[in-house]
Amino acid sequence: MTRFWNDLKKYYKYEVRAAKSELKTEVANSYLNWIWWVLDPLFTMMIYYLIFGVVFKAKEEYFTTFLFIGQTMWAFFNKNVVQSVRMIKRNKSIVARVYIPKFVLLVSNMMINGFKMAISWVIVVIMMIATKVPLSSHLICFIPILLVMVLVTFAVSINLMHFGVFIEDLGNVINIAMKLLLYMTGIFYSIETRLGPDHPLIAKIILHGNPMALLITDMRNVVLYDKAPHWIWLLIWTVISLIFSIIGIKTIYKNENTYAKVI
Amino acid sequence: MSNNTDVIKKTETDNSNNKSLSEEIAIEVKDLWIGYKDIQAYSIKKSLLKLKKAHVEEFQAVRGVSYTVRRGEILGIIGKNGSGKSTMLKALAGIFCADKGSIDLKGNSVSLLSIGVGFQKEITGRENILLSGMLLGFSEEEIREKMPDIIEFAELGKFIDKPVKTYSSGMYSKLAFSITAVLQTEIMLIDEVLSVGDAKFKKKSYRKMKELISNKDRTVVIVSHNEQTLLELCDRVMWMHDGEIKRIGDPKEVLEEYAEFMK
Repeated sequence: MTRFWNDLKKYYKYEVRAAKSELKTEVANSYLNWIWWVLDPLFTMMIYYLIFGVVFKAKEEYFTTFLFIGQTMWAFFNKNVVQSVRMIKRNKSIVARVYIPKFVLLVSNMMINGFKMAISWVIVVIMMIATKVPLSSHLICFIPILLVMVLVTFAVSINLMHFGVFIEDLGNVINIAMKLLLYMTGIFYSIETRLGPDHPLIAKIILHGNPMALLITDMRNVVLYDKAPHWIWLLIWTVISLIFSIIGIKTIYKNENTYAKVI
Repeated sequence: MSNNTDVIKKTETDNSNNKSLSEEIAIEVKDLWIGYKDIQAYSIKKSLLKLKKAHVEEFQAVRGVSYTVRRGEILGIIGKNGSGKSTMLKALAGIFCADKGSIDLKGNSVSLLSIGVGFQKEITGRENILLSGMLLGFSEEEIREKMPDIIEFAELGKFIDKPVKTYSSGMYSKLAFSITAVLQTEIMLIDEVLSVGDAKFKKKSYRKMKELISNKDRTVVIVSHNEQTLLELCDRVMWMHDGEIKRIGDPKEVLEEYAEFMK
């Protein structure tokens, strides 16, 4: 693990620079440039709003902001996880030619998605002001919840990055799994109020067993509804994620030099 | 050309007067085995259709090779295609792992000379120098310090602040070459001596390569098919055949024998 911290420090500047270059490349390639970073989450939210707000008449309070928070957090998790599967192969030109700790690629990618998420959070703030959401006294919990989410994402991604090298069609499996998980995470409905009254057990299982459901629910509680987060479960998922992160980092270090042979 | 060889030889003899310097070992390879087995990627679909375990092709690229390279020495490696030369070089660079045996670089910094690693087409030449340099393991300060030399050597003029995608292929390789030529490590691994660009730059880059290689503190391992280059540059030549060392020693003798063998 000390090796991990040293490498993280040593390659930190490279990670930032690589992430910046990637973002610049994205901007340079499209006509609307960085506007897409705003438009993309906005349109996704509008689609959800049309279907779940208008057609299904969702009754969640501050529904647009409610949706947008879920969408913002899900997008970060989903993008990182899906991209991690092909991370090594996508960077073949680097991996096959120089030595680089492989998690560096992952961290750099998380920075890119993190930057896009930050833009989404700015929009959330604007929406909260526009819809006159009262200031929550638990707002400070925003930071720990976000940190846990980053940790959960890292733990899942780093393990998938390893298996993605050896299992060619893992990407397909993950795509399907993520679709299922999307509906089980409650992006467009509240697990507590929709599932809670009729199926308390299922609601509990989803809320506690799916870290993203827990994180998104807690984030909404903290930001919109002035309710405290589930501290114990956040702590449990922090510990689980830490364990899987360490396992992932160790596996990656152990196998890093075989990757170049496989791809 | 032959003058230059004499110069190298002379520095060698100068070194040997100073015993502590010439006997210092820079690379020590012991009983190195590198294979490509059991590490092929598989797909879930395939393994479902074929329940029987697929036949794994076992292939040993390097079989029990041992040798040492002294500090300041230039070792050439020759051999027919598929004899394990490039695999060995990649193992020295830390890109491949050894299945058995060990490689000890005595704490020297090492780089496999490869041009244009991590280049991003949409960002400027200047930014690419930083990106590529950091990937090669240099710190931002070191690169910034050497930046003027790189830019001067690449002869790109004001194009250095334009996106790399606007470069001609010649300019691209000039920039890529300059980065690797100016940012140097203690041990350099070279897969085919590079000379890029137009006739004038080719000469200049070849001269630069030679200058780099002949530096008496720099340990160099060159893989090449060009017998003339090896004869000109190397202190010793190693002939690899089917993953084993067939001969190692004086360039002239080994190369003559090799030429005889290849007839």
